[in-house]
Amino acid sequence: MPATLSIACKRGLDTEAWLQRLVLAAGVLFLVLTLLAPLLTMLVKSVQNRDGVFIGLSNFIDYFGNPALTDSILNSLTVAFWTTTIVISIAFVFAYALTRSGMAGKKGFRLLSMLPLFAPSLLPALSMIYLFGNQGILKDWLPFESIYGSAGIVMGLSFWAFPHALMILITAFSNSDARLYEAAKSMKTPPWRVFLTVTLPSVRYGLINTIFVIFTLTITDFGVAKVIGGQYNVLATDIYKQVVGQQNFQMGAVVSVVLLLPALVSFIVERRVQRHQSAQLSARAVPLQPQKAPLRDALLTGFCTLVCGFLLLVIGMAIYASFITFWPYNMALSLNNYRFDMMDGGGWASYFNSLQMSAWTALIGTAVVFLIAYMNEKIKPMPMVRRVLQLLAMLPMAVPGIVLGLAYIFFFNHPQNPLNLMYGTMAILVLNTLVHFYTVCHLTAVTSLKQIDGEFEAVSASLKVPFYTTLRRVTLPLALPAVLDISVYLFVNAMTTVSAVVFLYSADTTLASVAVMHMDEAGDIAPAAAMAVLLMVTSMVAKLLHWLVSHKILLHTQRWRKL
Amino acid sequence: MTTSTTYLRIEHLRKSFGSFTALDDITLEVQEGEFICFLGPSGCGKTTLLRAIAGLEQQEEGGIVQAGRDISVLPPQQRDFGIVFQSYALFPNLNVNENIAYGLANVKMPRREREARVQALLEQIHLPDIGHKFPGQLSGGQQQRVALARALATEPGLLLLDEPLSALDARVRLHLRNEICSLQRKLGITTIMVTHDQDEALTMADRIVVMDHGRIAQVGTPEEIYQQPATEFVARFVGSMNLLPARVLDRHALMLGRKEVQTPIPMPDCADGTLGFRPESVTLHETPWGIDREQHLMMPAKLEQAQFMGAFVRLTMHLDDEVPLLQVDVPVEQHATLVHSPGQPLWLAVHQSALKFYPADTRECMRERPAASLTKGGSEVAAMQVAGV
Repeated sequence: MPATLSIACKRGLDTEAWLQRLVLAAGVLFLVLTLLAPLLTMLVKSVQNRDGVFIGLSNFIDYFGNPALTDSILNSLTVAFWTTTIVISIAFVFAYALTRSGMAGKKGFRLLSMLPLFAPSLLPALSMIYLFGNQGILKDWLPFESIYGSAGIVMGLSFWAFPHALMILITAFSNSDARLYEAAKSMKTPPWRVFLTVTLPSVRYGLINTIFVIFTLTITDFGVAKVIGGQYNVLATDIYKQVVGQQNFQMGAVVSVVLLLPALVSFIVERRVQRHQSAQLSARAVPLQPQKAPLRDALLTGFCTLVCGFLLLVIGMAIYASFITFWPYNMALSLNNYRFDMMDGGGWASYFNSLQMSAWTALIGTAVVFLIAYMNEKIKPMPMVRRVLQLLAMLPMAVPGIVLGLAYIFFFNHPQNPLNLMYGTMAILVLNTLVHFYTVCHLTAVTSLKQIDGEFEAVSASLKVPFYTTLRRVTLPLALPAVLDISVYLFVNAMTTVSAVVFLYSADTTLASVAVMHMDEAGDIAPAAAMAVLLMVTSMVAKLLHWLVSHKILLHTQRWRKL
Repeated sequence: MTTSTTYLRIEHLRKSFGSFTALDDITLEVQEGEFICFLGPSGCGKTTLLRAIAGLEQQEEGGIVQAGRDISVLPPQQRDFGIVFQSYALFPNLNVNENIAYGLANVKMPRREREARVQALLEQIHLPDIGHKFPGQLSGGQQQRVALARALATEPGLLLLDEPLSALDARVRLHLRNEICSLQRKLGITTIMVTHDQDEALTMADRIVVMDHGRIAQVGTPEEIYQQPATEFVARFVGSMNLLPARVLDRHALMLGRKEVQTPIPMPDCADGTLGFRPESVTLHETPWGIDREQHLMMPAKLEQAQFMGAFVRLTMHLDDEVPLLQVDVPVEQHATLVHSPGQPLWLAVHQSALKFYPADTRECMRERPAASLTKGGSEVAAMQVAGV
């Protein structure tokens, strides 16, 4: 026996293995440079004074000694608490109706319930002004003193966060096992007890998960609070005010750290809950076929109609208001509000910038996300690096947009950073938006890759076919629906996001969503609504194109799917 | 087998996943053209060993030599094998022709020749007309055969089968066993199949490698494995076996529970062990007279239950409260003439050649007096290997 055989084995690397490692390392480097380094820079800034001298926790001491600032913590928590409570209650019943009842028109309700996903978060806030503001048409219906403040924020956020909660809860409710219900029925269990002992436990994790997702979304939101918050300060608007209003970057960093904490805690809890969720349903479960129950179904139909009515009212109000010549004095319909070139915020150019930015984000982002997810899921070199990458890919979920935006200023605007060439360009907007929405895209890619047979790569290797050939010929075609999902998700979010990019645009790269904010600041509420509507319509068109592509082209090119 | 040449040599292979030892000092030789089965329960390391041979797992220690080439640290692309997985791993978006030709694309080969090769392979698996179908349109058995054709397309020197039949229903499985065997014999390709199904291993393999906890428990022909299981583990895992805890009294006497029995085979010098024999090797008698005590172990037992199994009747017999119930398989006719009612006393006789004794502490007993008298032929070597001799 050759002596060399018994010594410890370490495999040499060939070209393919080098290429795989290179891509994976590039992925880690990418996320370190665009996520970790900016966040760390921000942490450093929070313990420095204006001149960059280390001053320990003195910024934090100043912050917590100033009631005007610390009040925002309580405000943010209050708003997040109420929004989460309202959204979860409504979405829970709505999801139940869509999945477990014999109600008619489920598809229609589901479609309508997803509408808020296409609107920038500024849109419901603007609608609230037209509905319940000082000159609002439903002002007298409002049970609160004024819509400007916590009430408006909660209502606007509820509109905007609703579909997010609904999607997770629908998934949770869909994981049902009919046999459990049959067993309960055969033991003559009353319906309320079936609900408490079978239904509720089966959605438990989904419910907890939703609570944390919605809480994170709402506590970190910037757009709604900016437009309708008035004197009611929350953490996200405080960051903006400190940085843009007072040029106090250090205090902005401090508030960012404060805002990062609840988001991080919520994120960690959510990840822990997620871990339990996977093993809940056995492979042999029989899906539940919803039964008809006339009274219950009628009540649920009424409820869903009411909810969708509210959503349509908010959207309809914004659309209607955008065509009113001069609210409330000249109610004639006109296109005057769409003459954006007459207003602040960059005019039509900002709309085309937004289109361009979204297209680049969708294009580059999808490629980057998919390639990194592929290396991580299918090739599996360097286990330690992969673990780091997985953690980094999950992190953006916990970082509020406004915090990420500020962190980008600190990192990319630093004179000694060679990357500061990017500052003020379209590239930094694309990069920032991609990182901001990275997690959901990564999870989508990973989920679809996990569904593909894990042995394809092994088979290819045995047939001496390089991995990239199999990626091109097999894996990519199989994952195409997910790839399209990712690209449209990135496009829509890039169109509508405000929070992260609000610090990063320049005179040449003004964005439509930011323009909405600026027009609102300048008192041009109607043009702001018009731009918000335009963004929503654009997102819907993108989604419609996506639908056409997935349903028509996929049918022709991927005949095997339907077999 | 002695005349053929060694094709694959595995030496002192070791692999662990964290604290779990998947392969523990595996040494094995596979002859050219041989059909080898790795048999064992889940977690015994059989799949890890197959994947190490393929280069899909990297062993921590030890070497693999295939056809004279040291492949220990080569990536799978540089090794020479075809593989079929339990899931078949057919590419669902490519049709059967494209799937089979997948590995031929990088072998520079004229288009016409490639098409002819694919068609020849389709004929070989007796599915000449399915080239334009997608995997989703095929039955499980057909998919399995296409996966086999794809693995053979590049004419590898070694065929690896990872539980290729376990996802199929019983009837198709039986059919494919024959088909794989005849194809393998026809091509003469060295083949290694991983399975947890003992029937599959017994019917298909030239030699079986029984694995347990990352170690090789026994290597032998199906006959050797079945008739001379080297360890209690092999005896339990392959076929059914009565295994009775026994205390050695002297060279020819055992205590089974509270009953003393005389053994026709000599016992080693250790206190405890397990006496084993297969249900079908027992003969039933109404009286002890006329049984050759020099050749047979005899026990009185009471009938508990009879179960009709079709070709035979399986009797459950009670020997003593302190030992497990015995299983005895008797032909249907004998059952009809001999067995009448539950509780009936009967004499069991087991020929000495069918008796196995497994000492509880193998090493200790082996040192005193190797159990050579218990084992014969190939399994003797295996037993010594297990014992670390």
